[in-house]
Parts: sequence; structure tokens; C-alpha cells
Amino acid sequence: MRIRDIDKENLVIEIAIDQIVRDGFQGFSMNKLAKACSISVATLYIYYKDKDDLIQKIGAKVALKFLGGTIKDFSPDMSFETGLWKQWENRAAFTMKYPKEVAFFEIIKHSPHAEAILDSIQEFSDFRAIMKQFIDNGLKNKELIPMSFEAFWSIAYGPLYTLLNFHTEGKSLGGKPFVLTKEIMKEAFQAAVKALKP
Amino acid sequence: METDLQKIHIFKTNIDKIYPDCAINTTLSNHQDIQQWSVDCEDIDRVLRVVSEKLQPEIIISIINELGHECQELA
Repeated sequence: MRIRDIDKENLVIEIAIDQIVRDGFQGFSMNKLAKACSISVATLYIYYKDKDDLIQKIGAKVALKFLGGTIKDFSPDMSFETGLWKQWENRAAFTMKYPKEVAFFEIIKHSPHAEAILDSIQEFSDFRAIMKQFIDNGLKNKELIPMSFEAFWSIAYGPLYTLLNFHTEGKSLGGKPFVLTKEIMKEAFQAAVKALKP
Repeated sequence: METDLQKIHIFKTNIDKIYPDCAINTTLSNHQDIQQWSVDCEDIDRVLRVVSEKLQPEIIISIINELGHECQELA
């Protein structure tokens, strides 16, 4: 009799993320994963059809957690500056709390699995709609200058991700030790907002 | 709906590739007692996964053997 064991399922997810972040998709295998989790290969295949199925299912789980974290206490009706700052805070908090999941999400995002994963999540289209509404409101209220989406994104979030990368690595340029503080984040945020405002 | 775990059968095989019109594909896809199946050809164990309410593992093994492939249940 097979019984669903949630603890074991969570262990599989945790170790799969570890292994993929460490070895990439190519170095990752169902056999290695089963061994590391001290479960039989058969047990692993009960839950996942193959490696791609596992990557997509775990990817969807992590993506959902990330999207949920990003829009926590956020509303598209916030003023542009308040809403964007909330986004920065949420994204920074998530990255600091779950560095491995974020590294995994980055690998997924740049892989051929990305589309399949995001399309499998209903919440992702809701998320896109919320963000679109937020940007539209900013434009309507003249809090934001019209520009191409990619230019907007690179200015609105690029500085944050550069700082978060420094933080995750523990060093900035030239190996200088670095810890991201709220003050530095605010400094970069204000410069970004200034660039986006009419 | 989630698949009943008792109805999932897992086997180690030597099936190295699945083509649209290969014997494995036509036989398993057209079997009325098989709800779902897949082979992970990239894995070292070439794991066959079959979802079936009625079929016992021994029957599935004999089907695969008859098609000229090795097949043993993974516990």
C-alpha cells in the first residue's frame, strides 16, 4: 500500500532545487535525486513522469511562491512610487529569505521550460494583469513617462536586481564586501523613480 | 483529479526510444486498460510508468517482454 508522504515530497523538492542550482539541468538526474533523498527510484516516478515533468512541476511551485511574495500587500491602485517601492521591498525580502529558490527560478526562466511552466499557472495571467493595471494607472495619473516595456522594466527593477546580486554574492565590484541595507536600496530606488517620472 | 497511487506501476526497462509508430507506442496507447503511460528514455533505468486500474504488474511485464524488451518492476 502506497501512502502519500508530504514530508518526503517536500524533501524531494528541496533536494531537487539544491541539485539543479548546483549542477544545472544537464548534471541532474532522477537516479541521483532518489539516492540523495534515500528513496527508491520507483517512488520518485510515482510522482513525476520524468525529469522534464519534475522540473516543470517544481518550477511551477516555486514560480507561484515567487509571484505570491511579489504582490504581498501590493495593490495596483497604489500611487506609482508607493507601489513600486512595495514591489522592491517584496522582491528583496523574497530573495533574501529564499536565495536557492530564486537561483532556481533564474535557471528556469532562461530555459526552454519557462513558457510551459508559466502557462501552467493560472495565477501568472492574473499577476500580469495586475502589473499592467499598475503601469496603466501610473501613465494615466502622469506619474510615469511612456516608454517601451523593456526600457521601463530595466529602469524600474534593474537597479534592484543588481544590488540583490551583489548582496547574494556578498561582494560588489572589485571584491568589496557588500550587504544590502534599506538606505542603499532607497538611494537606488529614488534615482530609478526620478528617471521614470515625467 | 489526482491519480490513485495504487494504480501507478513503475518498471525498469531497456526501451531506448519511443517513435510515434513504434510497437510500444501503438500497443500501450491502444490498450483499453491503460489510462496513461510514459517512458523516461533519458534515465539510465529507462523507467516505464503505467497508470492502470485493472492491469497487474505481471501482465504489463509480459506485454513489454512480448514486444522484445526487458522489463522488471521497481519497488
